[in-house]
Amino acid sequence: MARRPVNPPAEGWSLTIPHRLWTELSAHLFPSGGGAVLLAGHAEGARGPRLLAYDLITATNDTDYIPGEYGHRALAPSFVRDAAVRARDESAAYLAVHAHGGLDRVRFSSVDTASHERGYPALRQITGQTVGGLVLTPHAAAGDLWLADGSRTPLAETVIPGGNLLRLRPCPATATPAGPDHDRQARLLGDVGQETLNRLRVAVVGLGGVGSILVEELARLGVGTLVLIDDDTIEATNLPRLVAAGKDDIGLLKTDLAARNAQRANPRIRLIPKATRVEHPEALKELALCDWIFLAADSASARHWVNATVQQFLIPAVQVGVKIPVDSAGYVGQIHTATRIMLPGDGCLWCNRLIDSTQLAIDMHPKAERDAARYVPGVPAPSVITLNTLAAAEALNHFVLAATGLHDDDHDHAAVIHRPRTRQRDLQDPRQDANCRWCTPAGRLGRGDSGSVVQTATL
Amino acid sequence: MNTLASAITEAVEAVRAQFTGHPVEVVPDGTGGVFVTVEDVSVGPSYAPAVTWLGFQISAAYPDADVYPHYVGPLSRTDGQSHGPAVQSTGWRGQPALQISRRSNRRDAIVDSAALKAERIRRWLADQ
Repeated sequence: MARRPVNPPAEGWSLTIPHRLWTELSAHLFPSGGGAVLLAGHAEGARGPRLLAYDLITATNDTDYIPGEYGHRALAPSFVRDAAVRARDESAAYLAVHAHGGLDRVRFSSVDTASHERGYPALRQITGQTVGGLVLTPHAAAGDLWLADGSRTPLAETVIPGGNLLRLRPCPATATPAGPDHDRQARLLGDVGQETLNRLRVAVVGLGGVGSILVEELARLGVGTLVLIDDDTIEATNLPRLVAAGKDDIGLLKTDLAARNAQRANPRIRLIPKATRVEHPEALKELALCDWIFLAADSASARHWVNATVQQFLIPAVQVGVKIPVDSAGYVGQIHTATRIMLPGDGCLWCNRLIDSTQLAIDMHPKAERDAARYVPGVPAPSVITLNTLAAAEALNHFVLAATGLHDDDHDHAAVIHRPRTRQRDLQDPRQDANCRWCTPAGRLGRGDSGSVVQTATL
Repeated sequence: MNTLASAITEAVEAVRAQFTGHPVEVVPDGTGGVFVTVEDVSVGPSYAPAVTWLGFQISAAYPDADVYPHYVGPLSRTDGQSHGPAVQSTGWRGQPALQISRRSNRRDAIVDSAALKAERIRRWLADQ
């Protein structure tokens, strides 16, 4: 198949479709055509409001998708009614989807538009929600949104976070030539790829041995905005693993060092440092506005809250970790680095038993009580910069290839496990629990601002 | 005004129902969870005093997070022995306490709810 156009992030309303839903939707629509409805949550985004698809209702041909009175085919009234009732009851946006021929460009036909104008005002009134239409080709998407406030707006882009981070528009973006600084890099990524990096907002959670390397390289790659989250300060024992850190930096916030390094690497970068734990509401708010998250903190609480954000706000992430087992007698076990791609709607960290609920409870204690709450006191884990570099490089290469559409396989999102002592590199596919309360439509997937990360009640 | 996830307000109500007749103090922990103290809890004749308070945190990550550890007021064993495993002297929220470290292996959010686990902890302590 021809290479898909690479589109930098666009300003305006966007729709994000989890990879699994997109795969199911594509199989339903292409090449024979079909109809479907997406239900979507809402969230604010860095470039405009976001719709977050969490469930797909496919229309059965000849029963739910029938010859139309005006056009070729249309959704049956009973199908529309049932889907609209779900949208109303679940406070979800209703998006009717169909496909057109072609590849890189798509737009609604006059018959489509007339159909919207006949049907959507009433549907919006019935549901009380945003309603609209979405027309797709395998490489392009156009949307017509009728907003709950009574206005109407086009969809700027449709985002599919999979093995590649796809961004579909009605027609391919035109490239702005990359500056001379990134000329060599743009020869691989293309001008649109370089512009994509510049428009992305990326978070690094944890600015220690791995996070420090991530920040340095993300800034040099030309990522436009970095959100830096860590509440820790630099200790003498950190210095061998922190990029460009010196003795004078002992006691400095890790966010300050990361910001200094990023600014030096790229003076035009926009930085949002948050010297808090990730579960702090300010950090979670910034995280929910990102396009990509690097999870480089090893606490259960960091894993839990990033996992929650990935699933609830449909933001892809990579978890990066290094495990060096050394027992009290000095025996060194199997060292491994893990780079786990966290896709919304796919087996999450809870499904893969990568968060310990008791450790999470301890992490959530106030700082003064956290150490005492551990029945067995913790000891510092071994940490070596070369192993951190191995894990960080795997995560960064995945990110840059995904963001610019260069991975061979849109579906490949296996974790990469390096075992340096035996020089093995293995892939592990994530597993998914059928009714996970985070990564399935039965849970918080795509619920955005109405989900539990920010859902509150009065005490 | 303090705002909490609905899962936590529901958990607090379940604790109140589990310990009907006991005063239950609920204080926000500052990060979206609560500290809960159930007063006048019986821990049986093995301890002096035989009645004390039972405290725990229901964190903002509940119900994904376990409720762990639990705390009770300082207790002495009436048989003169020292406390066994999983019970150690500590402090909780500025007061002396015994910490009871009983994790929920293969945790089930329903079976290991804050209310049911609090009662299991009370019984476990009484049986020691």
